[in-house]
Amino acid sequence: MRLAYIGSLSIYLGLSACSPAPSSPKTESLTPSMPLEIFSGGDATTFVSSNDAFSQRPNAIAKNFRLDGAFTTGDHLFRSAQNGVGPLFNNPNCQGCHLNDGRGVVPTTPQTLMTSMLFKLGDSLGKPDPNYGDQLQPFALNRVATLNESSHVSMATNGLWRIGEGTASVSFEIKNGHYSDGEAYQLRQPIYRVSGLQYGPLSSDIQFSPRVAPQVFGVGLLEAIPIETLKAQADPNDTNKDGISGRIAIAYDILTQLPSVGRFAYKAQAPSVLQQVASAFSGDSGITSSLLENPTCLPTQADCLANLDENSDIPDINNEVLAFIEFYNRTLAVPARRGYNTDTHKWQEPIIRGQALFNKINCQGCHVAQHKTGVAKGSALGAITLQGLSDNATPIEVLSEQTIFPYTDMLVHDMGGECEVTLSDGTYTQQCSGLADGLPQGNVSGSEWRTPPLWGIGLVQTVNPNATFLHDGRARTIEEAVLWHGGEATQSLKQFKQLSKNERSELLAFLGSL
Amino acid sequence: MFKHNPLMISSTVVLLIALLAACQPQQSENVKDNTRVKELSAGVVKHNSDLAYAIYSDSLMLAEVLHDDILLLIDSPSKKTLHNARQSWIAAREPYGQSEVYRFRGGPIDALKADGSMGEDGEGPEGRINAWPLGEALIDYVATNIDGNAGPENPANTIQGNLIANVQDYPQINREVINQFYEYGEDERNVTTGYHAIEFLLWGQDVNSDSKGGFSRDSTPGQRPYTYYLAIEGQCTSGAIKVDAQICERRGDYLIAASEMLIDDLAPIVAAWQPQTGEHYKTLVQNPSDSLAGMLESMGRLSFGELAGERINISLATDSQEDEHSCFSDNTHRDIFLNAKGIENTYLGTYQKIDGTMLKGPSIDSLLREIGQVSLADELTKRLDSTMQAASQIDAQAKNGKPFDVLIQEGVQQSDISAMIERLVKQTDSIEKAIDALAVSTQSLRQDTEQKIGE
Repeated sequence: MRLAYIGSLSIYLGLSACSPAPSSPKTESLTPSMPLEIFSGGDATTFVSSNDAFSQRPNAIAKNFRLDGAFTTGDHLFRSAQNGVGPLFNNPNCQGCHLNDGRGVVPTTPQTLMTSMLFKLGDSLGKPDPNYGDQLQPFALNRVATLNESSHVSMATNGLWRIGEGTASVSFEIKNGHYSDGEAYQLRQPIYRVSGLQYGPLSSDIQFSPRVAPQVFGVGLLEAIPIETLKAQADPNDTNKDGISGRIAIAYDILTQLPSVGRFAYKAQAPSVLQQVASAFSGDSGITSSLLENPTCLPTQADCLANLDENSDIPDINNEVLAFIEFYNRTLAVPARRGYNTDTHKWQEPIIRGQALFNKINCQGCHVAQHKTGVAKGSALGAITLQGLSDNATPIEVLSEQTIFPYTDMLVHDMGGECEVTLSDGTYTQQCSGLADGLPQGNVSGSEWRTPPLWGIGLVQTVNPNATFLHDGRARTIEEAVLWHGGEATQSLKQFKQLSKNERSELLAFLGSL
Repeated sequence: MFKHNPLMISSTVVLLIALLAACQPQQSENVKDNTRVKELSAGVVKHNSDLAYAIYSDSLMLAEVLHDDILLLIDSPSKKTLHNARQSWIAAREPYGQSEVYRFRGGPIDALKADGSMGEDGEGPEGRINAWPLGEALIDYVATNIDGNAGPENPANTIQGNLIANVQDYPQINREVINQFYEYGEDERNVTTGYHAIEFLLWGQDVNSDSKGGFSRDSTPGQRPYTYYLAIEGQCTSGAIKVDAQICERRGDYLIAASEMLIDDLAPIVAAWQPQTGEHYKTLVQNPSDSLAGMLESMGRLSFGELAGERINISLATDSQEDEHSCFSDNTHRDIFLNAKGIENTYLGTYQKIDGTMLKGPSIDSLLREIGQVSLADELTKRLDSTMQAASQIDAQAKNGKPFDVLIQEGVQQSDISAMIERLVKQTDSIEKAIDALAVSTQSLRQDTEQKIGE
């Protein structure tokens, strides 16, 4: 890290005209001894570890006035509702789901509005539902829906919103288990329900994929990991016989109209940050953009089509807004590791031992610690200025050629389990074993998930004390999230459960330091 | 922010200078020059820190006056006492607006933690003091049909009714309750404290003179009458209706507590800048080159990202009253003027205290001239002045019945507003040139930018 600077300084001194450069003994003491892996996001690392830890801009962005301005504007837009919301939607603005730029929350009661979590829809082959599309939008602006004003949605929003397509809810059954040393634990097994459907029945083979809004930071770095890196890690046929068979997810790129490598969202169905942003605007907020120009109203949803926002532009947001928010998402800084003592130059002991255990039980078989980014290209929409977009966007330096520590292989893995949906009295109920959701997307099956990055995981509940873990937020703690692993992680889970209590706490101390 | 860098790099620079000095005695003339530049740099930083102390002291004093006038309003609500409290709020914004150039540099406003230690940018009291836009529906009665969004980011983060109206769940309105609901639900619109919460309570939403709101805006700010504070049965109002007297009493409790909290948030910042005892003051003055970098960096970041970008361009591009900084009082023209003034103050080493005293001392301008960058100094002076002229124009428009929210309604081509943006962009270019010209002093700033970590 700082070595480069010290190095170039020495060269400079060496070339200076006067007496030979002293090989200064002080150089040693000037050499920063912070280990590389503290800087989880390379140059795009922040040392803020408060409840705003996920909302920071990298130093290099702050010190470049134009990039700083783009970040500030993107941040403001990320927090604000844009024109053209709805008529059907999950939440009108980005940060309404990504609370404090962190994770959303699972509603604690069926009456609590599900505003920062969503249900993807499709049949067991992944085909969107003919009446509801690929996502349940539980809310509508009050000019749309016909339901009476005493609905729980109307009550909770002072009449601003009505019920949209229907109501989704989650409840839990407690599942008991124990470690090899006999210590008991409890997990929350979710049961998903969809009821109060406003546009007729769902297709007979419907599957629900409930997902909590994830933390946002670091995506620009993950986007810049070269495809070759992902390809080199993939082992679809498990030729190394470690039980892990990571695959590359294929996602369709709207801009190039070509199949591409999927990277973002829980099943890696978005190939780029830009497309993920546009998809979220469309699917979650009902806001159209140049990438997704059509409103999400289906032909069967006449009241939705009839109530499009007349005052909004077509598409609802322009490319500048899209580019600012893309830039903000890409450059949000990754929190630095905690637990390193800069005086003694040592990691806390449990963290070191926990990291060794993490590797020993092969967690890093999927949660690959270190990557090197390539060139992070400028926005496909153009270079951002306060006056608009211009051609020739230059690469984003702070994201390029960075050594980063995301703890993911960016591949999809089968995590096991299967699902069953039943219908009774107009309520659909889905129960699954393991981590499965039963909903395939692209070439990713109903029990496969992209390895989520682990950087910053120790700060998730600092940023939002009500946040929980895994795709649907079923795990109340990181420990529970580990215990939910199955499928390709079965061997690792088995070994985790065989660890002593002390070893388990060390492993969790390591994860908490990420 | 890289906590451990500044010290390390400055010691590296010291080493470099020491080595160069040791092996190049023939350049004693330059060294002497350097000494003069170094002395001047130290003087500039010290003076800038003295100005900070003056500006924050003024801010604190006027926050105390505001609090006093709020007490008078609550004690005897009338047109006059409400008017006085509003005038005090507007006055309190004058020094505070000029203080914002002390943001974006790891200073107390951004980094002073509640325990008194300095943390990272973002861990200080800035949000509690000046956060916006508000989801004001959390605090008090709001009209439903308004041009803007009174709610939180996420409607799950609402409470039953609002803090003032919900007597059952929140029997006491006090600092604890206000603190507890600050960013309630990790929702950044749930701002319960600071200037803008007080502003909302004093003016109410900006719903035009007919109180009907609607898309076409008039020249008036929020229209709350003093009867919102009249804690007498049958006379207390919320909007067009009469409400229980205790609602008015609770509104008063809220204002009193919020203005006390503003004072308590400002006081430690003043203390940190106190020349004899302020920890931050001492740290800065001891590290003039880092401090000089911080001054220029703040000038650039406030000019471009914060003022031209977030506070002006977004409102203009979206024609959104919601994105207007002081949207309840229609005081945004002053926010713009004062932010720009603060930037010019930092460059020229000037500040006029509220007692009328003009403070003037060593400045970045004089430093640029000392190192021979006369034409750059002229350029920067001219561009800052040109920005102030544009700001004065916006200010004059507001005083002639066209406040900022009306101006932006004229469309994105609105010439007064776009002139302001253009000039701020230009002055940012010149600030960058000044950073380059003073490269030695701003070394740590440049290095953080260019340094690759991980290689």
